[in-house]
Amino acid sequence: MISPLILFMLSALLLLALGLLGLISRRTLVGMLISVELLLNGAGLSVVAAAQLTPASNAAGQLATIFIMGLAAAEATLVLAMIIVIHRRFETVETKALATLKDSPL
Amino acid sequence: MTSQFLMALSLPEAAHNILAYTAFTFYIVLIISGGLVAALSRILVRALVGLAVTFLGVAGLYLLLASPFLAFMQLLIYVGAICILIFFAIMLVKNTGSGEEMRLPGLGQITGALIAALTPLALFGPLIVLNTNGTAELPIITPLMEIGSGLLSYYILPFELISIVLLVAMTGSIFLAWDKRFKK
Repeated sequence: MISPLILFMLSALLLLALGLLGLISRRTLVGMLISVELLLNGAGLSVVAAAQLTPASNAAGQLATIFIMGLAAAEATLVLAMIIVIHRRFETVETKALATLKDSPL
Repeated sequence: MTSQFLMALSLPEAAHNILAYTAFTFYIVLIISGGLVAALSRILVRALVGLAVTFLGVAGLYLLLASPFLAFMQLLIYVGAICILIFFAIMLVKNTGSGEEMRLPGLGQITGALIAALTPLALFGPLIVLNTNGTAELPIITPLMEIGSGLLSYYILPFELISIVLLVAMTGSIFLAWDKRFKK
């Protein structure tokens, strides 16, 4: 029987891989935001699995994941605001189009 | 792996294991299918639904890990709040139908994405399989009081820092999204 910790760690790794796949293959900022959430979820899952299935402190692991969730909320809010500002200025959120520093196109 | 919820059913040990592994398989299927849709779907609303399905699967895994509080937090924060936020982001941006996301990425981009996804799999996968040894004991439910008192005693510094980060992020995003409206 495979150890449960291995299974949980592999699923967290899978979330990491899926997040990276989406993060690079997406063309827009909104799609990249979705992929980043996948990455953060994998991080939380691996921390909780490592805390619950080893002698490490359970409370510490759960708190770490709650902190990750808080950070994810803050990050999503900020990125939403940035997306709105970028959309106002460039009329698009495609990453390839965002190649301007101040006024001069690169 | 067998969580305490299944223990309460007073079934024999083997049945616990079978039920737990069935539940695990179900959640992992949710995670994989939802994650694939979230990462690859060309329509962003569909990707968002895939993301919500993945969040549900991860919440189920938290339940199997005997941390029901985290599962509820996952549902509240991720499915409840972050999905709505991303939906706002999709709606506020011109992104429907023939949006930029509809065109397929270039060959170089696809290669890069595959390399980025496969490298951690190839690096960490064998490491995890060869070097992980967890305890054989079942995970126990941590009393909520222990988490709460930890938050206010030993881990108070990260707690306060997270509050500051959240405050700064919220004020910053309100400021960013608002200023142009006053000038017009």
